[in-house]
Amino acid sequence: MKQAINMSHLFEKLKDLKALFVYGEKLIPIIQSLVDFMKDTVPLLENINHSIADSTSKIPKASHQLNNVTSATELATTEILDLVDAVTKEVRGVEKSLKAFINSEEEKAKLFESLSPYIQGNPEALKIYEEIKLKVTAPQEINPLYESFTKIKDYAYNITLSLQVQDITAQQLAAVNHLIESVQDRLSGLISDLEINEVREFGNLSMPVPEGVTFDPNARYDKSDQNQQNVDEIIKAQSETTTQDEIDKLFS
Amino acid sequence: MSLKFLVVDDSVTMRRIVVNSLHNLGYEDIVEAGDGREALIKLSADDTINFVITDWNMPVLSGLELIKAIRSDDKTASMPVLMVTTRGVKEDIIEALKARVNNYVVKPFTPQILREKIDQILATVAS
Repeated sequence: MKQAINMSHLFEKLKDLKALFVYGEKLIPIIQSLVDFMKDTVPLLENINHSIADSTSKIPKASHQLNNVTSATELATTEILDLVDAVTKEVRGVEKSLKAFINSEEEKAKLFESLSPYIQGNPEALKIYEEIKLKVTAPQEINPLYESFTKIKDYAYNITLSLQVQDITAQQLAAVNHLIESVQDRLSGLISDLEINEVREFGNLSMPVPEGVTFDPNARYDKSDQNQQNVDEIIKAQSETTTQDEIDKLFS
Repeated sequence: MSLKFLVVDDSVTMRRIVVNSLHNLGYEDIVEAGDGREALIKLSADDTINFVITDWNMPVLSGLELIKAIRSDDKTASMPVLMVTTRGVKEDIIEALKARVNNYVVKPFTPQILREKIDQILATVAS
């Protein structure tokens, strides 16, 4: 009797075991696909990790290059300003000489005209007088030249004014650098969380942002009058408000 | 009144452009400073300076802090100050006005605007 119970128990266990095998058979393809998925995913994750590490290591270099661009454009702008100043100085010299020449020619012409009454009735002298008169440079012939030099000086000054773009782009680049710095901070935090050892091999990831750099993130090179008009309107509105406030205070 | 300008900007380029513009307007007496602190040192050392043109964004001491420092000193409290900056948003302009800037020019400026603002300030100071 006891043997019969044991056998029944054994059959039950075998039944359970069979059920387990049947379940296992059903589970194996799922486990297999999970393993396949892991096989595919792990390299992808490694790739992502490497990309983050690689990008993070490149950010300081990008920032450094932006700083170099700012320095290079400032240097180039200074060189252009030097040349423009040199051109302006030369032009001013020529302008001054031309003005002196025009004045001298005008005086000569006046003196020459004063000679005219004394040679009337002397055909030989009159002939020479007329010949010389043709050779005296009239101011109206030199004036256009003088005006051209004045225009060159104005153009040179306009080049100077256009170089304001350097200061504005330098501020824009500083704003971009600041943005890069924020991304760098976030990525560094992420790397620290993920404990990507690989990144540490890249060494110092500190940003090479120069000390004391200040900038306007909204700086833009806009030559229209609109910006200044907006400023003037705000100042006008504010001054009117202030005046009214002051009046109100007086009567309160 | 003979004018002696103090041009304050951390950008060498901008300082040169402002100085060139002042020369073109006929002003010859000009000194320069690279930030607000240097400007204050120059102001305390030279009491013939009677007009300040300053940028806003500068290291060490900003243009706004410079104006506040100028206004808080009895010796320079009534000094004419013109702000020349890229900052053109309303809040910034109001902040500068609260600090008692005399006038405000946005970059890039034209010589006409610079002349107009200097003349406006001088007319106000004279009256």
